[in-house]
Amino acid sequence: MLLTTTVGSFPKPDYLVKARNLFSRKKISEDELRELERKATREIIKLQEGIGLDILVHGEMERADMVTFFAERLEGFGISGLVRSYGNRYYKKPIAKGKIKRNHPIALEMFQYAQSLTQKPVKGMLTGPYTMCDWSFNEYFPTRRDLVLNLAEVVHQEALDLDHAGAKYIQIDEPAISTRPSEIDLAIEAMKIVTDGLRAKTVSHICYGDFTTIYPRILSLAVDQLDLEFANNDFANLEIFKNPRFTKEIAVGVIDVHSHVIETKQKVKSNIKRALEVFPLEKVYIDPDCGLKTRTLEESEAKLKVMVSAVREVKEEMGLK
Amino acid sequence: MLKTTVVGNYPKITADKSAPNLRSALNKFDRNKISEEELERVYQETIQRVIREQEEAGVDLITDGQIRWDDPVTPFARNIDGLEVGGLIRFFDNNVYYRRPVVKSKLAFKDYSTVEEFAFLKRNSTKEVKAVIVGPFTFANLAKDEYYNDIDKLTLDLAEILKKEAKKLEEAGAEFIQIDEPSLCFSPEKIDLANQAIKVITDGLKAKTFLYLYFGGIKNLIPAPFDFPVDGIAIDVVSRPENLDLILEGSFDKELVLGCLDARNTRLEEEEELLKLFQRTTQKISSERIYVSPSCGLEFLPHEAALAKLKRMVQSAKKFNLGGDD
Repeated sequence: MLLTTTVGSFPKPDYLVKARNLFSRKKISEDELRELERKATREIIKLQEGIGLDILVHGEMERADMVTFFAERLEGFGISGLVRSYGNRYYKKPIAKGKIKRNHPIALEMFQYAQSLTQKPVKGMLTGPYTMCDWSFNEYFPTRRDLVLNLAEVVHQEALDLDHAGAKYIQIDEPAISTRPSEIDLAIEAMKIVTDGLRAKTVSHICYGDFTTIYPRILSLAVDQLDLEFANNDFANLEIFKNPRFTKEIAVGVIDVHSHVIETKQKVKSNIKRALEVFPLEKVYIDPDCGLKTRTLEESEAKLKVMVSAVREVKEEMGLK
Repeated sequence: MLKTTVVGNYPKITADKSAPNLRSALNKFDRNKISEEELERVYQETIQRVIREQEEAGVDLITDGQIRWDDPVTPFARNIDGLEVGGLIRFFDNNVYYRRPVVKSKLAFKDYSTVEEFAFLKRNSTKEVKAVIVGPFTFANLAKDEYYNDIDKLTLDLAEILKKEAKKLEEAGAEFIQIDEPSLCFSPEKIDLANQAIKVITDGLKAKTFLYLYFGGIKNLIPAPFDFPVDGIAIDVVSRPENLDLILEGSFDKELVLGCLDARNTRLEEEEELLKLFQRTTQKISSERIYVSPSCGLEFLPHEAALAKLKRMVQSAKKFNLGGDD
């Protein structure tokens, strides 16, 4: 009850940022880079155990971007030149150039490595087919639906691998799902393909949300748990989920990942209590709003420590364990 | 004769190592490694490159690529009293963000936003040039209103402020002024308000004015766009192909900007499909009244794809014009 977790990414240590840079300029070998990714993963697992989180993530040390990482490893995708997202920030966008095929497992190896380091459950982390499509250019498929459904098959294979490898939780992120409310049915259709037949508990993280446009339709998304941001807009969203009632498990974002400021325990406790006014206790998980990769490691650790200790105090006050 | 134009923004950086590198200059400036003068030099060289690329591609009516803009709202928001520039938020349905202006008190004109930039464009170009301003309704719609609690009043106050900007642009030599109102596609119930606000801006202007409606449909706006107090309307026939039918079915007597190359996807349009579209459009509207254009700003694309679209657009229009159909 009130299990704590995080959304997925952690900040990369400086040595890994440098190594990635050197690798892209062919100054170090792939083996050297992979070894540093594993070192960073070990540190992130240790960090989370130290903080006392209940459900861990592997930290995504091997990923630069949640879409490009997969696209680079799939047949049928190319990668574009740089596109600006805001200010002076640029990213490379995948381009669907042919039928998308998976020639080898992508997320499996790092999941298995991370899970081997800890007794606690580590979440298997995937990017959903709708978001993969929405954040890519499309030069091949006649319609967006064709691309999304092709991707759904591929992400399903990824999910099956994680499931067979014993993942207790598989998270399939769909942050783009609230972007085009008119396509919500397509996203739902695709997720059904992805999670079909999985034994693991399934989660989907959705952010940037104007949920008024997709609620309650989003409750039909074929996952057990939705992971949503709340702290960033000071729980303005909460009202939406009162009526009709929320039927899934929910991971409630109680920490603002876009702010350097470390929340006070008081604030986080009040965030948790607000969530419990709307969501039934037995269905609530507690985590930050979004991935932590834009914060420093120090900020991330400080924020998560406050979160874990706030959860403990709330539990004590409620007479739980 | 079909003419060609662009919608506004253009990729700021290129893969060409010999070109000015604005991304690296901004990084260095943030770390105090280069002076403001040095950064300004890179800005100017970048804008000159963007102007040159459009001219060399053969575009008839160009912009400066909005190289100094982080987003279409903030350059204006910074020069209005009563506003704060807020946090990042998604720009329509794109994986691109803008800073959301927060309205704190009654708005008032503080300074001109784009007039110097426009003068630079004019000085550095041999082609016809176009000034671009955010539309008052779109600005109001993208802002967070903590003061007026009334989108009508907010929009009309913004219109008065943008009118000053437009007037000054005209004094600086602008013969074409584009007003961007993409939000209108998604709030057709506000059509009368937008109409009234546009009128505030265009009233008394001698420059040619264009209303830009991109990212969405115009179905629920019809027939209002036919009567807007502007000289031309730009439509996006990529996001919504039926937009063209709606224009062709009505008695449209303005100039038409036909946004027909997908500025949000790298797939390069075939010349054949563009020619067919031109054919269809010119059966109803004289080619003299048509500008061919990308569907929206080209900055959603990596540089090489943006440039390829410009070239394809101009080549197709030229080919059509040589064909002499009209």
